[in-house]
Amino acid sequence: MDRAGTEPGGTDPGGTAGDAAAGSGTAGGNAVRTAARACAGLALGALTAVLEIAFLLVAVVPVLFSLGRRPLPSPVVAGAGRLTELERRRLAAFFAARSAAPEGGGRALAYLAVRAPIGLLGGTILLLIVYGAYLGAGLMTGWWVTGDYMDGIPPDLWIVAYTFLAGALLLFIAVQGLAGVVALERATARRRLGPSPLDAYRRRIAELRETRAQVVDAVDDERRRIERDLHDGVQQRLVALGMLIGRARRAGDGDPERAAELLRQAHEESRRALEDLREVSWRVFPAALDGEGLRTALETVAERSAVPVTIDHAFPGRPPHMVETAAYFVVCEAVTNAAKHSGAGRVHVGVAEHDGRIRVRVEDDGTGGADPGGGGLAGLARRVAALDGTFAVHSPPGGPTVITAELPCA
Amino acid sequence: MRVMLAEDSTLLREGLVRLLAEEGHEIAAAVGDGDALLAAVAAAPPDVVVVDVRMPPTHTDEGLRAALEIRRRWPGVGVLVLSQYVEKRYAAELISADSGGVGYLLKDRVAQVDEFLDALDRIAAGGAAFDPDVVRRLVARSTHADPLARLTPRERDVLDHMAQGHTNGSIAAHLHVSQSAVEKHVNAIFDKLELSNTAGYSRRVLAVLRYLQS
Repeated sequence: MDRAGTEPGGTDPGGTAGDAAAGSGTAGGNAVRTAARACAGLALGALTAVLEIAFLLVAVVPVLFSLGRRPLPSPVVAGAGRLTELERRRLAAFFAARSAAPEGGGRALAYLAVRAPIGLLGGTILLLIVYGAYLGAGLMTGWWVTGDYMDGIPPDLWIVAYTFLAGALLLFIAVQGLAGVVALERATARRRLGPSPLDAYRRRIAELRETRAQVVDAVDDERRRIERDLHDGVQQRLVALGMLIGRARRAGDGDPERAAELLRQAHEESRRALEDLREVSWRVFPAALDGEGLRTALETVAERSAVPVTIDHAFPGRPPHMVETAAYFVVCEAVTNAAKHSGAGRVHVGVAEHDGRIRVRVEDDGTGGADPGGGGLAGLARRVAALDGTFAVHSPPGGPTVITAELPCA
Repeated sequence: MRVMLAEDSTLLREGLVRLLAEEGHEIAAAVGDGDALLAAVAAAPPDVVVVDVRMPPTHTDEGLRAALEIRRRWPGVGVLVLSQYVEKRYAAELISADSGGVGYLLKDRVAQVDEFLDALDRIAAGGAAFDPDVVRRLVARSTHADPLARLTPRERDVLDHMAQGHTNGSIAAHLHVSQSAVEKHVNAIFDKLELSNTAGYSRRVLAVLRYLQS
């Protein structure tokens, strides 16, 4: 009986999934309830099938008339849409089957045309069961209550046993039929309504194409930034250093004291140039991330930040390398932004595991108004999207700003 | 001479100011963007301006725009452009018809203090100073109808130096030949490149560069 609620090879997002989780004491009750619900759904489905067949018969003329020439007439589309919606609700309520809304009137019509006969089939099997029950009840009443034997056959042992066996067999087949109809209903809805596998692939490919282009963009942006970093920092320092040494040499023998002073400045400048270089290379990619992992790299971010940063790192183990890197850059950029633009007095970073995904959350108590389309944040969004993650910036004027990213770790 | 600087990096700006002051030049203005430079030049034109190409707000070619503007409005002011990279387009834009007193150096060349000061003097005197790298890039161009292909290696050397703004005397010193030999080479180059032998030395350089650009 509880076959009615599930289908072979199908996923079952609700309904009977509860049976497995329920205690053994209530499992039987649950199965009965599920079966009863499914029967009610089938009965209702038979009624809607009658309605749909009537609708299709009325709609067939305008549909044939518009085939391949014009868009479907709008009353037909609206009617098909409404009936389909009704079916989707019925499937969700009685069979716990979720389905997608159809894309366009054509798909809804096609679904109804396929679905109506299935609904009638379900109704017919239900009627057969009712008829069988009525016949069995009549037979037993004749044998043991009124004594008015059907066909004048007395209920001796062989006859009773034979009749019960035959009845049980027929009942079993009928119930299997019901289960089959439920499975058909679900499969039809999935195939005709939901995104077809081909559509799903197409959408995925479009998505991948877009994120791939965005990744290339993001990489170019990063390179631009590195170039600017090198040009504005390290290179200027080195030129200044060269100038100091050049001046020292020109001062040379004429003024050894000044030459010495210039050399001392040059020495100092070379130290600063090295610091700058270290800074830039760290910004390009923190070596700690590879060796020690996210936690250590984030601690470094906190140490270097001008604004106090608290870190709550509760992710067990280490996520995959790409994910770790993306999470790191989300935090790094968010913290830099907070320090630069928001006037925040403190920043809180949270890293947690959530449903097999890593969730990164950066909150600051600044003035808000961060622009998600701004260079740095847009680059992060692209980076996260490329790993099938989600990225959100919540920054109302007046703050606080909350930046969250979730990345799948599989 | 009176010099004005436009350079967005404070560090470098200060360094240049000190360097030029030590050489005895007068720093009339040291600013961080093109607009401020134009304002300063308009107030009291100096002898030479030194301009960084990349400056705020867009960090692309503000400095070059300002330099061209100065060339147009105050032809008497020498312009030395400092660029991050060799940009042939910029060099071409600077080489306008019949104008001396321009220079185009790689920024890093500033660290070669002697060369930088020498270039500045040449520009102030109405001459030209082009970075050896720029010249090399221009001379190394190889098109199938390359007139330079007809030059001997020696003539190429001479052209190379000439394009940087060196006088015949200093070319002779650099190549360890007599000055008359250099003059002979120069005439041969002009013949091969079909250039009329103009008198002005900076015009000669610019003509060569322009010809290479075309």
